[in-house]
Amino acid sequence: MGSIRRRPRKLAAVDEDDSFESLRQAFHSRLESERVHFAALSAALARAEENPLWIFEDLVYRAHRLQGGAAIFEESEVAIAAGRLENAAGVAAQSRAENTDEEVWSALEALVTVMGNLESFRAVGRT
Amino acid sequence: MPPEHRLESLEDSSADLHDTILNQRLENSQPCRVLVVDDDELVRARLMALLRNAEFEVEATSNGEEALRILETRHCQILLTDWQMPDMDGLSLCRIVRSDHSESYVYVVMLTVRDSKEDLLKGLRAGADEYVAKSAPVEEILARLEVARRITHVEYSLRRSNRENRRLAVTDPLTGAYNLRFLTKNLPRELSRSQRYMHPLAVLSCDIDRFKQINDAYGHDIGDEVLRVFVERANSGIREGSDWLARVGGDEFLVVLPETDVAGAHRAAKKLRKMFAHYPVATHVGPVILTVSIGITALEAEREIQEPSKIEDLLRAADRGLYASKMLGGNKATAVRVSAGKVANINQAGDKNGIN
Repeated sequence: MGSIRRRPRKLAAVDEDDSFESLRQAFHSRLESERVHFAALSAALARAEENPLWIFEDLVYRAHRLQGGAAIFEESEVAIAAGRLENAAGVAAQSRAENTDEEVWSALEALVTVMGNLESFRAVGRT
Repeated sequence: MPPEHRLESLEDSSADLHDTILNQRLENSQPCRVLVVDDDELVRARLMALLRNAEFEVEATSNGEEALRILETRHCQILLTDWQMPDMDGLSLCRIVRSDHSESYVYVVMLTVRDSKEDLLKGLRAGADEYVAKSAPVEEILARLEVARRITHVEYSLRRSNRENRRLAVTDPLTGAYNLRFLTKNLPRELSRSQRYMHPLAVLSCDIDRFKQINDAYGHDIGDEVLRVFVERANSGIREGSDWLARVGGDEFLVVLPETDVAGAHRAAKKLRKMFAHYPVATHVGPVILTVSIGITALEAEREIQEPSKIEDLLRAADRGLYASKMLGGNKATAVRVSAGKVANINQAGDKNGIN
């Protein structure tokens, strides 16, 4: 998956650009830590026995938060992938699904992949 | 207290804080203030930067309860809120804002990742005016907030116009004092309050001595100027927030003094007479000396307050006192007691040459 295309921000002035850039960097720093969290949750999910409700609920919470932030910071692919994971984990939690829930795994892998593919994310990760 | 403020406090004394917010709103139409509510600090920061760049004034908080606290003390024309938040979600916040702030309208924009038709309907039914998905382009979010700014400005203009109309309906255009309509509506309220709480109530009937001669000698423009100065000075001499003055005729005024007995009313009358007898009114044609005759009445004894006194009795007693002051040559204050429909002189003060 390639880098994310950004929409032009015609209304933004110079100061706003500066502000946006520093906030965007902060957001990408958060993405890095969130990616670690998602990786940890996927490991926990793989080890879980019976109904791993707390993991599904944590995934819902984190995916929802990530979706909102990514949408506002114009990372549309991350927002879409996070939204998909939120829905899948929400359904799994409600139906008391097992840790092999296909839709959750698929959405989780897609999200982690999208996050790993962000150019700027990689840049943040190197620094 | 300016008439428009007095009007509000008399009509609904329990809404003082609301009035403060409303006045803030009326006095400062610009800039448009937006309250951003989102539990994600980076989203809040991003929205604040965007809005400030678009010349909105911005407040921000992370939760619904704090948002309500801010709205209680500062008027924000627009509330931009997330849906899912800890403790109080955006829907609950929206419902409370709609029920608690119906007088001072807050335009609510719900900004959320929940973009299904069902969610949109839930948001609008909770009272949101606009529902925007967080995935919408920044330009669209800003454009919708511009719509909100336009609508809140129109609403502000209508409210201001309505308020001004209400003020004009109860004030005398020449002097700015309350008019007969205001008196007719609010003196019975003062009387009821006095009877309910067993508190005294005094009324001063005031008339400018030889006002016709001032008009004849200097012209109506000067006469009008004298009336305006009378109201200005008289208002400055009574207690702000409780006492009030109404113009009931050409040069006749009524001063209503809640929580005041005869002795207090005498002091107020003396102060009023001094204000004029000792300080001529400066006009375009030079200083004009004027004096004021005053009739005083008050309900003060328990028996008087408990009696089902009528407004007419109160006014008649004050007018009797005024008439007596005039008959004694003017520049006097005469107190007359309201007693079971009949009146009796109880005191006189002042003389032609000075103030007692």
